[in-house]
Amino acid sequence: MRRNILLLFLLSLFVMPARSQEAPTPAQGSPFSQAKFVPDISLILDCSYLHRNISDEQNSGLFLPGYVVSREDALPRESFNLNYAEITFYSVVDPYFELFAVCHLSEEHFHLEEAYWLTKKLPAGLQLKAGKFLSSFGRINELHTHYWDFADRPLVHQAMFGEEGLNEIGARITWVAPTEIYLLAGGEMLMGANEASFGRTGFPLPQEKRSISSVKGPGLFVGYLESSVDIGDASVLVRLSGAHGTTRSEEDFSSGAPMGRAFAGSTTVLGGALTVKHTLDAIRYISLQSEYLWRHTDGTSYFNDFTQQVQQSALDNRQSGLYAQAVMKFDLRVRGGLRFDLLQGNEVTENGQRRDLPENLPRFSGMIEFNPTEFSRVRLQYNYDLSRYSETNQQLNRMTVHELSLQVNLAIGAHGAHSF
Amino acid sequence: MKRYLSTFLICAAFLSFLASARPLHVVAAYPYIGDLVEKIGGSNVRVFSLARGDYNPHVIIPRPSFIAHIRGADLLIISGAQLEIGWMPPLLRQANNPAVQTGEPGFMDLSQYVTLIDVPTSVSREQGDVHPEGNPHFYLDPENILPIAKAIKDKLIQLDSRNASYYESRYREFSDLWGKKLVEWTQKMAPLRNTRVVEYHKNYDYFLRRYKLQIAGTVEPLPGIPPTSKHIEHLEAVLTAAPARFILQDVYNPDDASRHLAEKLNMKLVVLPHDVGSVKETNSIFSLFDELVRRMTE
Repeated sequence: MRRNILLLFLLSLFVMPARSQEAPTPAQGSPFSQAKFVPDISLILDCSYLHRNISDEQNSGLFLPGYVVSREDALPRESFNLNYAEITFYSVVDPYFELFAVCHLSEEHFHLEEAYWLTKKLPAGLQLKAGKFLSSFGRINELHTHYWDFADRPLVHQAMFGEEGLNEIGARITWVAPTEIYLLAGGEMLMGANEASFGRTGFPLPQEKRSISSVKGPGLFVGYLESSVDIGDASVLVRLSGAHGTTRSEEDFSSGAPMGRAFAGSTTVLGGALTVKHTLDAIRYISLQSEYLWRHTDGTSYFNDFTQQVQQSALDNRQSGLYAQAVMKFDLRVRGGLRFDLLQGNEVTENGQRRDLPENLPRFSGMIEFNPTEFSRVRLQYNYDLSRYSETNQQLNRMTVHELSLQVNLAIGAHGAHSF
Repeated sequence: MKRYLSTFLICAAFLSFLASARPLHVVAAYPYIGDLVEKIGGSNVRVFSLARGDYNPHVIIPRPSFIAHIRGADLLIISGAQLEIGWMPPLLRQANNPAVQTGEPGFMDLSQYVTLIDVPTSVSREQGDVHPEGNPHFYLDPENILPIAKAIKDKLIQLDSRNASYYESRYREFSDLWGKKLVEWTQKMAPLRNTRVVEYHKNYDYFLRRYKLQIAGTVEPLPGIPPTSKHIEHLEAVLTAAPARFILQDVYNPDDASRHLAEKLNMKLVVLPHDVGSVKETNSIFSLFDELVRRMTE
């Protein structure tokens, strides 16, 4: 032992002078500076100029019959729009975690659109994600607006998941199969607070001296299966998704206001998504994408009539819709595309009585975009919308809406690469 | 009981034998890397190259099938210097394979083994598609292939040490042959010393510098930005004052502007491969440089 110490001492005599001979470079700035650990930060700005054949007031009064879509403040408005600014943060946390956050800024609001962590080191092809994030249901839902081929959300997603999409607090697990052919399975446990399909907060039923309970724990479960094959220069991607969760919604009901409404029940949504991307050469490609969604809502709806009596009815809705789009990259900087939206089935049954609601509500869109670089995009889009209705004297009237928008989308900073 | 135990042991031994006999699965970002790995790894590796050699290496479409390949990889080799920044990160994130994450022994960045040129002192996207770490097309300098090949050999030995001598001998064979080819290419390129050339994109800077050719300009006004008439006019003025002999065009960008310049100013338009598989003559790392030299000197 003593010899070892002596040896160490002798060694240190050699090491010490050697060290001091190396000219110490003076540290630049603070010795405690963490400047090099700044995460990737980017800012995305989306502005547009829009023209419609109807006024903003008329537009806000329009709705999709049979779907609960609140459009009190329908956006974008006529003329100039600041659609959003989005600040994104990304960095690895340590060897085990990655962290993403997306802050969505509008003129008056700041909200955390996504903030989640991902594991890097789980074995057996597994990965865990948790926090607040866009659900992987379907194809387009998990992608940010900035990645989309058109300026707006497909009609069927708007109708079934609302303007914000399926954006939830919860956890996700994915598994990539150890196979030659790409196969991915994913499951999500989510709180289930979606404006259009899912909800967790209960409400009192004063007459019956009871209340509809709130959901304890996760209220929404999503599962999906994805696979892809390459056929020559074409990549084919298929994803099947299912979501099942509790539905609770309320509009001026618990306050007892006349015409107040509430609903309690459950909703199942099934979806199939197909994407085919075919490269024609090093620059040009054609991309076809389609999604079909089917929704079943089952439960009891409550309604305050004018005498403040609560009317109950059993509600059973089966609705479906799809979109199909084709986008082509013609040139290094030019892309163009067509999209067809359809809200197809609209079967709303109240107390065994089917309501007379219009079916097959279509919308047609076309766009052409110029991308000076991968960080800037100018897009001209036209929508011919036959899906919107207004209501006068309990009579539904279809309104034809023409919409033309010129959108500019810019990204600065360290912006992450796009996936397929 | 004993019988079960021995069966179990035999099974375990068999499984471990199978595991050891399994070749190392290597996924390469670009075909030139895949070819190098095959040259050194031989029958002990199974290689898959993600990108196509005839496409723009900056903008590869991240096909979902790539995820399955990365999921099963023991080693992922990228070229680096941010050439893959636009397509690799999401693939790596979705592959759920801890062995090939950045910082792991199963992840390798080849740009770490060479000296990059044109490292900018400051970067701004006003300058187009600039790479803060320097020009990423370093593998088109044939002298850079040897340190890369050596690094790949060392990596294969690190991951599969039992076959160390196999990799060593294949590497020695490769480097001997490469050394001879270097002499040959230097001889063939010698007459072109100080020749002025124009490139479409800064693809061939390493190759041109190695053989001391002079770069008179690029057809792109800025990296990644397609030619504008104003820039072409400017280039015409420059080339009229001080003529250049060749315009070097890659296989994936439109060649209208280059052809226009070549005809107008009586320069020779040379289409050059940039990777293994760029043109049909380049099926290996050797023929890539043979073809580069042949097309330049013919």
